[in-house]
Amino acid sequence: MNPVWDYVKKVEPHLPAGQRTLTAGALYAQLKAKKDALEKSLGRKASDAEIADMLREEGEPQDVAARIAGNAREPELVTRYLASIQRRLPPESALDVSAELREAILSAIEAKEDALGRAANADEIGQVLKEFGHPVVVAARYGGGDYVIGPKYYPWFWYVQRIAVGAALAIAFGVSALRALGSEEPMRVVMRGLNGAIEAGVWAFGVVTILFVLAERFKFDMGWADKWDPKHLPRDQVRQPKGLLESGLTVAFDVVFLLWWVKIVQFPNELPMRDGASAVVTFAPGWEAVYWPVLILSVGVLLVHLMDLVRPAWTPLRSVLSIVGHAAGLGVLWVLFRAQPLVVVTPISGADAGEIERVTRVVDNVISISLGVAALVWAVTIGIEVWRLWKAARPMGRVAA
Amino acid sequence: MPIAGDIVDALRLELRRGTLILAVLGTLRTEKYGYTLKTELGALGIEIDEGALYPMLRRLETQGLLTSEWREDAKRQKRFYRLSADGALALDELATTWRAMNGALSDILEGRGS
Repeated sequence: MNPVWDYVKKVEPHLPAGQRTLTAGALYAQLKAKKDALEKSLGRKASDAEIADMLREEGEPQDVAARIAGNAREPELVTRYLASIQRRLPPESALDVSAELREAILSAIEAKEDALGRAANADEIGQVLKEFGHPVVVAARYGGGDYVIGPKYYPWFWYVQRIAVGAALAIAFGVSALRALGSEEPMRVVMRGLNGAIEAGVWAFGVVTILFVLAERFKFDMGWADKWDPKHLPRDQVRQPKGLLESGLTVAFDVVFLLWWVKIVQFPNELPMRDGASAVVTFAPGWEAVYWPVLILSVGVLLVHLMDLVRPAWTPLRSVLSIVGHAAGLGVLWVLFRAQPLVVVTPISGADAGEIERVTRVVDNVISISLGVAALVWAVTIGIEVWRLWKAARPMGRVAA
Repeated sequence: MPIAGDIVDALRLELRRGTLILAVLGTLRTEKYGYTLKTELGALGIEIDEGALYPMLRRLETQGLLTSEWREDAKRQKRFYRLSADGALALDELATTWRAMNGALSDILEGRGS
């Protein structure tokens, strides 16, 4: 609470519009000086009652306004300049700041007039005001914090943004991919999903930015950031970690696969055949043996890929996890190869037994070849990972003395 | 390739930022109002524009390093600033740091460092 400021605010509406800012500022300075002198004579802070007595002696606000309005002789440019600054300042400090600036500006103009030997013209006064700085800049300097997100929070800002935007994009892409696969108009769904992904990314960016601006504004405690231990940093990088986009897309694919595997999402499995006939393709009973291993493996792979997104470091442990995952995948493929045929083709309409047998053979071959290619790729991946691990584990050689 | 002027300007700004506070605190061991403070610093070769000086004075007062008093001087109300007791302690510590850094920097710039 500032009784002087409250009093000046009561006087201000009675002042002529063109002089309001400057004259109110001058009055404030005058009353503050009186209050300071009173406190000096008392040898302590003045109580509210003592300040109220002092202000009562000044008279009614409208009388004070009438008395001081005629005394205002300050240049109009100064009035406009101070008004521009004042309206950008917090109300509780606006008058105090503008009173001080007024005094500083008038001192600078007086010094200029002394040097010129005559009264300063509008251009010369304008030059003095330009040296003080643009009202927006001057007001901002009084505004408290210099930063929206300061150097203390900035590195963390980008770290969190990468994770938040990456996760938002991955989830949005995953959802749109699911919708596209179950839709009759996949392209339209994909385009809509692209918009949704951009929107999700912008939202994530906006929310994180607001949180960090609040952290800066309220000086959120970052003491925990100093408690890090170098011993906990990832060591022995086996290879460059995955990029944000690659990790995000991988997670999106994992989510789609999992939802399909647990039958939450279904893809069209009707197969058109010759002469308008059609059939439904389903998994052969041999797949039942791998249902739980594939489910457990997929959840594990999703967790590892999420870890890649948050802590993208390809450590030996990460390399070993990759080897174990691919080896388990090869195990699943081995079980499936022994359980052929892999699919059951059930006619819906118009297909004879010979045609069904032919289609079953073709689909079985296509899936077998796909799984064979997958087995080859995974085997090569295991080989590469083992080679990288071996390379990373090799001693670096002695350091020359 | 010559160094871009704006890079040097930005570095100079960084270099000046902390030292200006030291200069302001040191000058306000005796009471002054804003305009005389600026002209005194200017006469010593330390230029500071008003748009930066007044917010700085206010910030230092909020931090308890300065005290201020409105008083009439030459027929106008002026705000006089002076170093507070806390400000004097802070100035001593900053001055010690400055002298140590100045000595070390002199050694480095004169090529006397290791």
